Amino acid sequence: MGRLVLRRLLATIPVLLLVTAGVFALIHLTPGDPVDVMMAESVDDSVKATLRRQLGLDQPIYVQYGAWMAKLLRGDLGRSIRNGEPVIENVGRRMRPSLQLAALAMAISLMVATPLGILSAARRNTSVDRFGTTFALFGICMPNFLLALLLIFCFGVKLRWLPISGYTDPLEEGLQGLRSLVLPALTLGLALAAVVTRTLRSSMLDALSEDYVRTARAKGLSESRVIRGHVLKNALIPVVTVLGLQLGTLIGGAVITEYVFALPGVGRLVVDAVFARDYPLVQGVVLLIAIGFILSNLAVDLLYGWIDPRIRYR
Amino acid sequence: MRAATPHGNVHRRDFLYLCALASGTLAPGMSVRPVFAQGAPRKGGTLRVGFYLEASTMDPHFSGSKVDRQIYHNIYEPLLTLDVKLGIKPGLAESWQQPEPKILVLKLRQGVKFQDGTDFNAEAVRFNFNRMKTEPKSVRKGEVASIESVDAVDAYTVRINLRRPDAALLATLTDRAGMMVSPKVAQERGAELERNAKGAGTGPFEFVEWVKDDHLLIKRNDGYWGKQGGPYLDRVRYRPIPDDTVKLQSLQAGEIDVIDYVQPRDVAAVRADKNIVMLDVPSLAAFAYQLNQTRPPFNVKALRQAVAYAIDLDQIIKGVWLNVGTPANGPVPPTSWAYDRTIPYIKRDLAKAKAKLAEGGKPSGFAFTITTANIPINVQEAEVIQAQLAEAGMTAKIKLVDAATQLSDGNSKNFDMISYQWSGRPDPDGNIYQFFKTTPGTSLNWSGISNPQIDALLDKTREVSNQAERKKLYSDLTKILQDELPMVYIVHPIEPKAFSPKVQGYEPIPDGMMRFKDVWLKA
Amino acid sequence: MAGSIRGSGIAEAADTPLASPAPVCGRRWAVLRQAARTRLGPLGVVVMLLAIVVAALAPAISPYDPLKQDLGNALARPDRAHLMGTDNVGRDVLSRMIWGTRVSLMAGFGSVALAMIAGGVLGLLAGYTGGRMDGLVMRLMDAVLSFPPLVLALALGAVLGAGLGGVVVALGVVYTPTFARLMRAQVLTITAREYVEAARALGAPGWRIAWQHVLPNAAAPIVIQASLSVAFAILAEASLSFLGLGIQPPGASWGSMINAGRGYLQQAPWIVFWPGAALFVTVVGLNFMGDAVRDALDPRLRKTR
Repeated sequence: MGRLVLRRLLATIPVLLLVTAGVFALIHLTPGDPVDVMMAESVDDSVKATLRRQLGLDQPIYVQYGAWMAKLLRGDLGRSIRNGEPVIENVGRRMRPSLQLAALAMAISLMVATPLGILSAARRNTSVDRFGTTFALFGICMPNFLLALLLIFCFGVKLRWLPISGYTDPLEEGLQGLRSLVLPALTLGLALAAVVTRTLRSSMLDALSEDYVRTARAKGLSESRVIRGHVLKNALIPVVTVLGLQLGTLIGGAVITEYVFALPGVGRLVVDAVFARDYPLVQGVVLLIAIGFILSNLAVDLLYGWIDPRIRYR
Repeated sequence: MRAATPHGNVHRRDFLYLCALASGTLAPGMSVRPVFAQGAPRKGGTLRVGFYLEASTMDPHFSGSKVDRQIYHNIYEPLLTLDVKLGIKPGLAESWQQPEPKILVLKLRQGVKFQDGTDFNAEAVRFNFNRMKTEPKSVRKGEVASIESVDAVDAYTVRINLRRPDAALLATLTDRAGMMVSPKVAQERGAELERNAKGAGTGPFEFVEWVKDDHLLIKRNDGYWGKQGGPYLDRVRYRPIPDDTVKLQSLQAGEIDVIDYVQPRDVAAVRADKNIVMLDVPSLAAFAYQLNQTRPPFNVKALRQAVAYAIDLDQIIKGVWLNVGTPANGPVPPTSWAYDRTIPYIKRDLAKAKAKLAEGGKPSGFAFTITTANIPINVQEAEVIQAQLAEAGMTAKIKLVDAATQLSDGNSKNFDMISYQWSGRPDPDGNIYQFFKTTPGTSLNWSGISNPQIDALLDKTREVSNQAERKKLYSDLTKILQDELPMVYIVHPIEPKAFSPKVQGYEPIPDGMMRFKDVWLKA
Repeated sequence: MAGSIRGSGIAEAADTPLASPAPVCGRRWAVLRQAARTRLGPLGVVVMLLAIVVAALAPAISPYDPLKQDLGNALARPDRAHLMGTDNVGRDVLSRMIWGTRVSLMAGFGSVALAMIAGGVLGLLAGYTGGRMDGLVMRLMDAVLSFPPLVLALALGAVLGAGLGGVVVALGVVYTPTFARLMRAQVLTITAREYVEAARALGAPGWRIAWQHVLPNAAAPIVIQASLSVAFAILAEASLSFLGLGIQPPGASWGSMINAGRGYLQQAPWIVFWPGAALFVTVVGLNFMGDAVRDALDPRLRKTR
């Protein structure tokens, strides 16, 4: 197993190289550069030229890439052009709200999806199942900015139960912080709940049709004992893996939610960086997101392999 | 200019209303509901402000963005300030004289201290100008280009020696180029100043903290030199809320107290909302489209004129801007003393448009691209213009770009017709010179116009100091610009600001900057 | 998740050889009949066909020119003249929705077609040749997968120009790894089966085997994945219009209409409601279709019967 992990980790290096080269090329191909954006209302050509020289933007592309790589190998991700702070600090600062949002969204999705998924599977093709699968479908098919709009309108403006923009850290401000995260977490969580419901239902059906279940039933155990005792544990594994895979999306991909709710998260960071042509920030964040994605994939694969001995990798 | 009346408040409101009416910026049906003081000001409270963008730097000499200025006008102070009619008033400089066209002498206010405790004096002023001119990253260089040197004549007198006469300098000194930073802070913490401006200014508020992406906090400067009026608020908290709709909803939900801009489409609803007070503040800004003269099709003047005749400004102001703005006759906004009301804006005339097409050699029309920023109102305006142009036989394709691409395309003259928004400067020079002066290389003269007559007029506006004379020059310029059309001007927007009813004492100045010195919160 | 561009429609465990269904050749009609027996499957097909018909007949059935502005009648409530009201420059919402069907379907089908072809070819290549080529292709696919899709779409939009073409290419790239992995898994499973070994022993050339055995069997999971991906692509196009990518004004797609109508939610909710409903119904229908075929192929369901 250790050798497998090592091999997989080594295999990620070319992947990361490809990703960094790809994003480097792409972002440098986009028209405009950070100096233009920073000095939009200014005329001074000489200041712009000085800045470009300082930032190394006047060098050919492969030189810039080489320089960035060299710094990376020393563990330095560089500094954001816009605010001069190290990329790592920028990301770190945004990680907390993103992680909290992701955690809350996952919690909400589990709270909704677990009973729904179990019941749908246990009472297949009944109205409960119908409701569960319909809910799942709706959640997946609803554009999430639409959902965000509706939630804001309903809970924020009309009912005024929850704050609609801004971020307060629950770890520092407790309940107030939690309230500020509820609407965005609901937006992400309901959609996630839809996916989890489907997965759970599917894996429950899988597990329910296993032989050991038939044995347990033949032994006379009640349905709920069977479910609780044996089936649920095994059925939850794919759910965990799905959640693990979605974690990457929740953190790096919740851009629209973060934008609409004015949350300072990682998703918005990278999109804003692209708009501002903040090259080091874009490259650094994309690299970190890619690493996170690959690591979580690896974890998921290993988990699969460990749980189900039939699925081993060459 | 205030007559004594038993209800000083009411008079002020009428005054503002009349001002606005007189300057032609308000249709009589519109009402200005300023947030004036009711009762005695009370100290205390935190004002929560929502802006669309986050500030980029706290160092006024390095700043290039509009949002930064909003904060600067509360923690820093310029040498000169503006009044409600955009006239120049004393700021940190009590008085000024120009013994010769190339010399400006400022007498500084005494007894002013920076928030770090050091004295404000002529030496500090000299230091600041030096910094603006010599720091490599200084963005103010262009603005103070006319300054040759600055001498501290005595502790509170400064003599500015100019390279050439510069009639616009006084107005420039009311903004960032005139803002004074504590030399001690700049010397000891210069590099950090961009993120941490503690103790750096002389203003009614001082910098407390800036939590990036979350909020920026300033607090009352109890050592402020001004003994009349405020500051009253304990603190002001700025929050960036990029989404316009959410920003307004935050105000409606009571999460914030002030927003800097209400979109035209929301104006009617906000006006009807009893829980929000809205102020129509005419601005210095202009929305226009630059036409690229360096390549076809718009290197032909007749075709540029065809575009101008085909565009229906009335329909755009009414249908897109919902009358939250006035049709523009040129770069000078109606709030400016240089505005010439007698010059009409270009009215739509399809017959003339078609005639110009023929004159330009394209009687059956031609095709080109309109590059515009991906902002809802820009998109809407572009769609309407596209339809208007089609009626005259011109086929315009719309290309949406993000800000960086727009800047890049504009700077490299890679466009046919490109949208341009200028936030506006108090002196007309700031709205005109750099756009139309012949400039090789990259500049804000995106259209590439190079017209000797215009150049001569532009230079003259900087030399002449008599305001009436300058105004005549700007009128001449406006007329020529309407003929040459490097830019087709559309609208001078009104920038409505909205407040919670608790906010009192706000006085709007048409430069759009929100100054909170005399603002207080009702209990 | 509807919010993420990539979506979660990856057929579960598609890239583990064990999870793919038994060979379908000969059973194809049985599967279709099975799928048709569910109630929702055919409903999904009907919805999709309806969308295609509407898109094809747009010029004929649209009551107004979707680009015709009428500033005096902007934001009008739905009435007899305008069944779904007008938008912020007075254009008929119904007409724009009908024409928008074309754009949304093009975005959906176009990007998935691209992804299917690119991914299919890459997957075949990887599965067949194995060894270093397999490793290289799969690493490339991993790289694309770990690239944040939004950044890719934004950057491509800025490079290629923000129009629909850029979005189709970007989404095509984003979905390619899914199909590549799927195809590769199918190739590995199917070529391991006896009849293929037999065919190979008999001397059949590689491409013949691919054509006769691999593709027909791979078709079903790929079609399932495709229908789910089209649904996600249509949603993704809506999300991307939020950032200014996709169909350029004055053209309309459902997504761009929702986005443009966002600011008018309180004054004129019909601008958002109708294209939102259209988007929703189409995406749901596609999901029904895909689900029905998948359930029909599901070995579990066959077992418990």
